[in-house]
Amino acid sequence: MSALDRLPSGHGDRALIAGVVCLLVGALFALTPLRVQLPSAFYVFVEVGILFVIYGVLVLGLDLQYGHTGLVNFGHVVFFAVGAYATAMLSAQDTFAGIGLGYPWPLGLAAGVIAAAILGAAVSLTSIRLRGDFLAIVTLATAEIFHSVFVNFDNIFGGNVGILGVPRPIAALVTDSDTRLVATLLVLGGVTLLTLAIVTRLTEAPYGRVLRAIRADELVTRSVGKSTITYKTQAFVYGAALAGFAGGLFALYNGAVAPGFFTIQVTVTVWIGMLLGGAANHRAVLAGLAIIMGLRLVSRFALDVTPVSGDVFASIRLIVVGLILVAVIRYRPAGIWGDPQELGVDQ
Amino acid sequence: MSLLSADGLVKEFGGLRAIDGLSVSIDEGELVGVMGPNGAGKSTFFNCVSGVIQPDDGTVSLNGTDVTGDAPESLAHRGLVRTFQNTRELETMTVRDNVRLAAPDQPGERTLPALLRSGSMQEREEAVRERADELIEMFELDHLADEYSSNLSGGQRKLLELARTLMLDPDILLLDEPFAGVNPTLTGEIADHVRDLNNDGMTVVIIEHELETLTELVDRLVVLQQGQLLVEGEPEAVLEDERVIEAYLGGDAE
Repeated sequence: MSALDRLPSGHGDRALIAGVVCLLVGALFALTPLRVQLPSAFYVFVEVGILFVIYGVLVLGLDLQYGHTGLVNFGHVVFFAVGAYATAMLSAQDTFAGIGLGYPWPLGLAAGVIAAAILGAAVSLTSIRLRGDFLAIVTLATAEIFHSVFVNFDNIFGGNVGILGVPRPIAALVTDSDTRLVATLLVLGGVTLLTLAIVTRLTEAPYGRVLRAIRADELVTRSVGKSTITYKTQAFVYGAALAGFAGGLFALYNGAVAPGFFTIQVTVTVWIGMLLGGAANHRAVLAGLAIIMGLRLVSRFALDVTPVSGDVFASIRLIVVGLILVAVIRYRPAGIWGDPQELGVDQ
Repeated sequence: MSLLSADGLVKEFGGLRAIDGLSVSIDEGELVGVMGPNGAGKSTFFNCVSGVIQPDDGTVSLNGTDVTGDAPESLAHRGLVRTFQNTRELETMTVRDNVRLAAPDQPGERTLPALLRSGSMQEREEAVRERADELIEMFELDHLADEYSSNLSGGQRKLLELARTLMLDPDILLLDEPFAGVNPTLTGEIADHVRDLNNDGMTVVIIEHELETLTELVDRLVVLQQGQLLVEGEPEAVLEDERVIEAYLGGDAE
């Protein structure tokens, strides 16, 4: 058996292939006159699907930080927002308010990743040596600070309106709205699968072993010669960069960014998705995210068949989602597909 | 020349001087036992020497280099590795991964080779796996290799910890109570391993309360009391020393 056979590679390589296929099919729709027509009831599924694959990149970043390394980041949305704003401000042309520099969108996307990574590095430099709960507080506070900054510095960030006129590369290629939605889902889905392939490679390599050791016991990991501060900083920055990347994708899909897209609700959604699916397992966190986002979507339809008003229904929906979470935590504390022994929780 | 030497070490916790001007020197190839009543400063001594805590005063040198206050990871690179009094396993990892983790010089622990699955990483990993399996077999843990280490008994954990430290092929090994909570059969086994390692040239320092095993095992005993060096010398002589007897029975004992 060669060394190559012995290293685990299955999931990562399958994700790589699936990602490339998605991208190619998406490009086919975007670049050729090929058209699709969606039944109108499907729109909402495709739209939520697009948001899911964008959030998928977010949750993979969060899982690298928390699931694998044990770093508690309660402000994940801030890296998403900074990535989105940086991309938008660099590439937007006719912004209604705020700055738009009109550079090509790939440059904007790169800037989004870099800006989020820099913020991640700044947060790690100040807080990563502290005990875990301090990092949680610092990240939460950072997210709140940036939210107010985006809202209040109108002439830079456009206030509550945000930045409009962000280029939409896929929409620019496809004028037909049905085909555009499908192409967007395929391209972004492909990107998410490629992200999955990359994080899988990283965590299946000896690199991931060090991350998991840090989560288990940092002092032991240091005493066998690993510079844990470096690894923790890297994991945090990589997670932040992925969130920034997701933010850039969001801006380029949506064509606009505004503070309303980047509330604490985003952080909560990806955290729930990660814990529901099972932290430290890339495919599980994506599945968990799909469950929580799917649940919200399906419950919308339930409104039509229930004899209660919208307000009452919204409350019931929260209760139902809450009960499901309680049930999962009670009966599967490591998440649906999580390994309780690997996560060190009592079943 | 001494391999490891601590000179005038001081460490205070609040108002308490856990070690107070302690100087100990370990020669290359020695097998040294450190004993003393509870609170004598044995573990604090290990912690200062291994970089887990910073001494308030004094110096530590390893192989002639001043390493005072160096981080545990940099000391591990210099060949000094330790175990912990309460075994610290990476409980959420398997026995195999616990041992493999400690392998030095794995390029796959850096981002780029990991992402590219570089040839050097693959090659190194193959060697790492082989060596880890050897050590796991040597400590008779092979039937448990794929178990999470949280499922191991106290004695098995001590063995695993030893296997993990050996992965680093250290020049000097500091063992903090390797026999505590271990049944007599396993105690004998661990002692045999330690003796073998020492015969192969590894310098070993052991903190231990299990005096019988310790005195049989070591070349030299160092006795601490209230953070200071009380007596040191050959085991038999040390155990008969009146100051040692008094320290263990308490100052007021008749």
